Amino acid sequence: MTDPLNALRTPVMPIDPDPSFAADLRARLERALLEPGGTPMATTTSRGQASSTDRAARPALTAYLAVDDARRALDWYADVFDADPTGEPIVMPDGRIGHAELVIGGSPLFLADEAPELGLLGPKARGGVTHSLVVEVPDTDATIDRAVAAGAELTRPVADEPYGRNGVINDPFGHRWIVSTSPVDTGMAPGGKHGDIGYATLRVPDAERTKDFYGAVLGWRFSQGSIEDGWQVDGPTPMVGLAGGVDQPGVELCYRVDDVEAAVARVQREGGTAQPPEQAPYGRLAYCIDNQGLHFQLWQP
Amino acid sequence: MTEHPGVHPEPGYLLLDLYETALPQVYGYLLSRCGNRAVAEDLTAETFLAAVSALRKEADSPLGPAWLIGVARHKLVDHWRRQEREERGLRAVGGDSAEPDDPWEVQLDAMCAQQTLSALGVHHRAVLTLRYLDGLPVAQVAQHLGRTLHATEALLVRARAAFRRAYEGEDGLR
Repeated sequence: MTDPLNALRTPVMPIDPDPSFAADLRARLERALLEPGGTPMATTTSRGQASSTDRAARPALTAYLAVDDARRALDWYADVFDADPTGEPIVMPDGRIGHAELVIGGSPLFLADEAPELGLLGPKARGGVTHSLVVEVPDTDATIDRAVAAGAELTRPVADEPYGRNGVINDPFGHRWIVSTSPVDTGMAPGGKHGDIGYATLRVPDAERTKDFYGAVLGWRFSQGSIEDGWQVDGPTPMVGLAGGVDQPGVELCYRVDDVEAAVARVQREGGTAQPPEQAPYGRLAYCIDNQGLHFQLWQP
Repeated sequence: MTEHPGVHPEPGYLLLDLYETALPQVYGYLLSRCGNRAVAEDLTAETFLAAVSALRKEADSPLGPAWLIGVARHKLVDHWRRQEREERGLRAVGGDSAEPDDPWEVQLDAMCAQQTLSALGVHHRAVLTLRYLDGLPVAQVAQHLGRTLHATEALLVRARAAFRRAYEGEDGLR
């Protein structure tokens, strides 16, 4: 006996919906496909590649540029700003790049081909510069030279300013870039105050073992210092040095002072000992021992 | 315009290629099962937007009309769940006792059957739609409704009885 309700079987019969609904939904889908937010770049996750600009690492603000040739822009920013493309660009059915990501010096930059249907146009289409982007580079002159050689327009030549050496270009896509190199922060430079720790020196019997140890534990890298078996640690704040060949391991701190002669006098008055201050490339330095035998240094920039 | 190295189409765009042919099928499927144009449009939109997300998560999804109908079926079940929550109070009053599944031999009139179905409570409509309109095995119906096989079988018995009662009419005029 067959089940009479089997007569209810309804194969899928195509029915055309209201054309305006169909058009609206299509537009919604296109927008959904253009939106990188919410869903990460699918093409990269589906291939198991982690984007370096994932949510955790991404800063609060990211520039998202509309350009009139995204493929060329990807190459151009890579060549001129040493940008690293992350993930793979999303390509739309008409061949335009719907979304692409780069990283310049640790900051993300998003870009896409212009999408006039969404009101997204580059500066050229808008009739001129609409905004400025500020990029920090290791060598402003070299970056500006590369940019101009690659077709950028130099709109302000490189000059030294209190806040760094910078120049301004308009790139071939019409975007204005202020290219800047901030003044070098040596760690020994003005800006600290009396009593700050200006420098720390690890004194050890075997500098090589220390380099291996802290290289493994902290990822420190060392460069050759100015004294024999002396090493400079690259990066940490305050600056750290390493001196090998001493019997007793210890850390010797260097304190910044406003007046090294007066400070040395106070050391002696309070029961410590101090050698006369000597002139070093970075200022005047006095080697001292406190009233319980701890070695330290006083430094006046 | 040269192809940038590493550039490849995002899987979601394949959906746009398919849109013109798949839209009437998804909409037709949903409209014939929910009988309401506005609801069918909402569920159609939900289906395609969910498909974008699904494709971005699983680029290997077997994109095609059959796969989209499967997504639409999930959206339909979600819709029924929402409706059922609204109707729950009413059903508590009306009672829902199990009835014996008498043999029933009748040639159903399709138009009347559809009308009858649309007049049933949403839980009965849901199980009958999946079982009979979509022709799914009971196990799959159970999966879609989030019930055990046993509970689904029991629900089917009650739904069939409710359908028969409604179809024949209280005074047996049909």
